[in-house]
Amino acid sequence: MKKVKLNNMAVSFVMFIVCVCLMCVMFMQFRTVEETDITDIKNMREAELRKSLAEWKSKYEEVEEQLNNTNQKIKEYNEKIGKSEEAAELIDKELEQSNLAVGKTDVEGEGVVITLKDTEEKDVEGWDLLNLINELKYAGAEAISVNDVRIINTSEIADLGGYSYISVGQQRLEGPYVVKAIGSQAYLSSILNLKDSGYVDQSKSRGIDVKVEPNKKIEIPKYNGEMAYKYLKVEEETK
Amino acid sequence: MIIVAIILGCIVGALIGMNSPIIPYTYSGYLAIAIIAALDSVFGGISSILNKNFDLKIFVSGFFGNAILSILLTYLGQKLNVDIYLAAIVVFVGRMFNNLAIIRRYYLEKFVKYRNSQNKKKEQINTDK
Repeated sequence: MKKVKLNNMAVSFVMFIVCVCLMCVMFMQFRTVEETDITDIKNMREAELRKSLAEWKSKYEEVEEQLNNTNQKIKEYNEKIGKSEEAAELIDKELEQSNLAVGKTDVEGEGVVITLKDTEEKDVEGWDLLNLINELKYAGAEAISVNDVRIINTSEIADLGGYSYISVGQQRLEGPYVVKAIGSQAYLSSILNLKDSGYVDQSKSRGIDVKVEPNKKIEIPKYNGEMAYKYLKVEEETK
Repeated sequence: MIIVAIILGCIVGALIGMNSPIIPYTYSGYLAIAIIAALDSVFGGISSILNKNFDLKIFVSGFFGNAILSILLTYLGQKLNVDIYLAAIVVFVGRMFNNLAIIRRYYLEKFVKYRNSQNKKKEQINTDK
């Protein structure tokens, strides 16, 4: 009887321990499963971490490659932009030069102002102006205007209506004629004022009132007319 | 006495488990396998009680031994990159269903016998009347 009782006690004690172990572990597991966030990196298994790491790595590499490509493209574009800017600058400069040469811009600089006036003896003829302008060009004048009409390469000078008007660049002008020329002040005036063979002396001997004034700052306006060429074409290159 | 010990053990174990720290997720897989093995042992013990060949030593050794062995096997499987814990789950859960079937049949037979005896009693009473 006693033995049975002891046996009974032992059995119940063992059962108690077994139950404690089982329940303890089970509830621990329940809590663990309940409270762990599978997406949390702390709770991830090594393999999962490795997998995701590899994934991220490949993604990173991809993105880096894209970044490199994009950077290269940007570089190329920048280079292109730089080149085109340079070209544009060159073209701008060239255009400016051409405009200066052709007479499409207002210009200023040192030079001389020559005033031709009719006298009682003689009117100023177109030929006088033509001669003057030719002399000025010979003396290295870079820009010339007559009564603020710019002389360009196609400008004509002709007498109109019996010397009372002179046509300059399709515009009718009346005396007195103020011819402005930009160039070396000293050289221009010295050429014009040459003794006997100079323009001033010759004109004076013909009876025209000529006045030459050197000036530090002469302003010459741009050519106002149209500059369209109807018959002129750039020669096409034959292959 | 045994029943009291079991109930008390369950309550104490639940309390301890509720207040214990959370184990890392990495090891919860091992613990789950151990729990399955232990539950298998418990159901095996119940069915053996019903078959009247219950041995405490076998039960206890099976309870702890199976749990530890399943953990070790799972660990080995992880080292070998084979999901051995799946095999353990299949075996343990299959045995659990077997034992449950035995327990169910036992009580069903008992219930049917009881009903039959009741019916017989009633019939006897009826015939007596």
